[in-house]
Amino acid sequence: MNLENQNKHTYWNPYFGGFLFGLVIIFTFYMTGRGLGASGAMKSTVVAVVDTVAPTHAENNEYYSKFISEDKSPLDTWLIFEVIGVLLGAFISGGLSGRIGWRVQHSPKITSKRRLIFALIGGILFGLGAQIARGCTSGAALSGLAVLSTGGIITMLAIFGTAYLAAYFFRKNWI
Amino acid sequence: MGPLIPNGIIPIEWDSIIAILIGIAFGFILESSGFSSSRKLAGVFYGYDFAVLKVFFTAGIVALIGIYYMDYLGFLDVAQLYVHPTYLWGAIIGGVIMGVGFVAGGFCPGTSLCAVAIGKIDAIIYVLGIMIGVFIFSEFYPLFDELYTGSFLGNITLVDSLGVSPYWLIFIFAIIAIIAFVVADFVGKKIKKVFY
Amino acid sequence: MINRNLVKVLSFRYPIIAAIFLILAGGLVLLPKYEKQKGIAPQELLNKSTSPERYISTDQLADIIINQDPSYIFVDVRDEESFNKYTLPNAVNIPLKQLFDEDLVMYLNQDQFDVVLFSNDNFYADQAWILCNRLKYKNLHVLKGGLNEWYNTIINPPFPNENMPAQDFELFSARKAASMYFGVAYPEQAKKEVKAPIKTAPKKIVPVKKKKKMPVEGGC
Repeated sequence: MNLENQNKHTYWNPYFGGFLFGLVIIFTFYMTGRGLGASGAMKSTVVAVVDTVAPTHAENNEYYSKFISEDKSPLDTWLIFEVIGVLLGAFISGGLSGRIGWRVQHSPKITSKRRLIFALIGGILFGLGAQIARGCTSGAALSGLAVLSTGGIITMLAIFGTAYLAAYFFRKNWI
Repeated sequence: MGPLIPNGIIPIEWDSIIAILIGIAFGFILESSGFSSSRKLAGVFYGYDFAVLKVFFTAGIVALIGIYYMDYLGFLDVAQLYVHPTYLWGAIIGGVIMGVGFVAGGFCPGTSLCAVAIGKIDAIIYVLGIMIGVFIFSEFYPLFDELYTGSFLGNITLVDSLGVSPYWLIFIFAIIAIIAFVVADFVGKKIKKVFY
Repeated sequence: MINRNLVKVLSFRYPIIAAIFLILAGGLVLLPKYEKQKGIAPQELLNKSTSPERYISTDQLADIIINQDPSYIFVDVRDEESFNKYTLPNAVNIPLKQLFDEDLVMYLNQDQFDVVLFSNDNFYADQAWILCNRLKYKNLHVLKGGLNEWYNTIINPPFPNENMPAQDFELFSARKAASMYFGVAYPEQAKKEVKAPIKTAPKKIVPVKKKKKMPVEGGC
């Protein structure tokens, strides 16, 4: 692997990034009274797909039906628009620093295939967990922390605590 | 005064536009902080890169302090903000599952979207995984129903649960954050650098 | 040449930032606390109190009733007993004690109709008016002088003296006509008997949906 190509990350100072991020959260709460989120948009996407493919099934399902209404597409939610923005914003940032390109990022010790399999497993687990906890790291943990929500902070502790405990078993994938 | 849109100071039609603008800022900052790299994210669990911890905690504390100052000065009413509801066991078990998912996949939903935007294939697979996870949850919803809707404690904050003034909580959080940063830097120096 | 002092200061940049952080967070703890004003701001309440729209005169009210203006609701804040004895046509009874009863509050907390509050004089009605205004209910009015004034002006209008200006006579004839509408039989004016008004079912109110502060499903 070409080291120069691999190390294309002149990232921001994390404190600077965090500070700006905090300002964005304040702005979000000031404007809309709610926090940021990400997994909710994916849920809406799944609901929309199921609703198009099998509308009767979606209506009969207790969970999908919560998010389906007659007059509104399940995609017409705040989070979907926010996520469109996230994609745009990340694309702009990546474009400015020349980080755009199709690639699979993984530790040199493992193969791409292994990385992709673990990414899939991780995604499934995160998707499942995010539904059970009603939010992910941004929606529950970070936005929860910003308003001192008990549930959000518990979720945050659970995520990071478990991740540290589980880190040992996945160490081969990363270091 | 604020929040502006729920109080009708800015018309609701702007909601989606503001959502996109906020999203752009969110995505830009995440990507620029390096959150589009799963190896950088995972670094926090192995001690070779604490960017996640630093960004996350700084953002949280800045937001907390800012929101409460705005509340104090009367620009924003904290009581009107959406508080993530507390379903105790749902929060814990969901968090545990997400924790495993985090180490296994190396992303969380927000960061994976940033990585998708710059063309990381592993992130695309990860997002597909999340959708499959949501699908599984929905299809087997009756199994999770009790966990999902059980042990509901309301939209409570730590102020309600602990009975402490929010200002003291913020102060304590700020101290914890700074200690965490110092410890993180200390640990970071000890651990062998990993090039990624 | 790099400024040495600047370098020196910059090497402490993280402790400095951390200190600023702590001072800001500590500031919140130390700042003097005050109780937040709930509901309407005092200044706004004052403006509403002095606004001419607060009161509605008995003549205006008679007009409204005779024209059967559908955009008004009459709310009687006296107790039930007095309400049963006599009230305005189509009035709704919300005794002051039960002002915030869940089933009744929909008459007050709405923005489709104008609400006219009345009691025997305007004392209790005024109190109800202030309480409701504190809760930011809209379109509230008080019947000036209450039912006593109503009785004295509309039901039993004073006959103007001969040396009074012509407009008083016009007013009198208008009031007389109004009182006839409300069932006072002329010319046996001495009788002053008031027929019990026909109580029709109170109009259907569409309560304002309480504006949810947030959509239920927030976050992720």
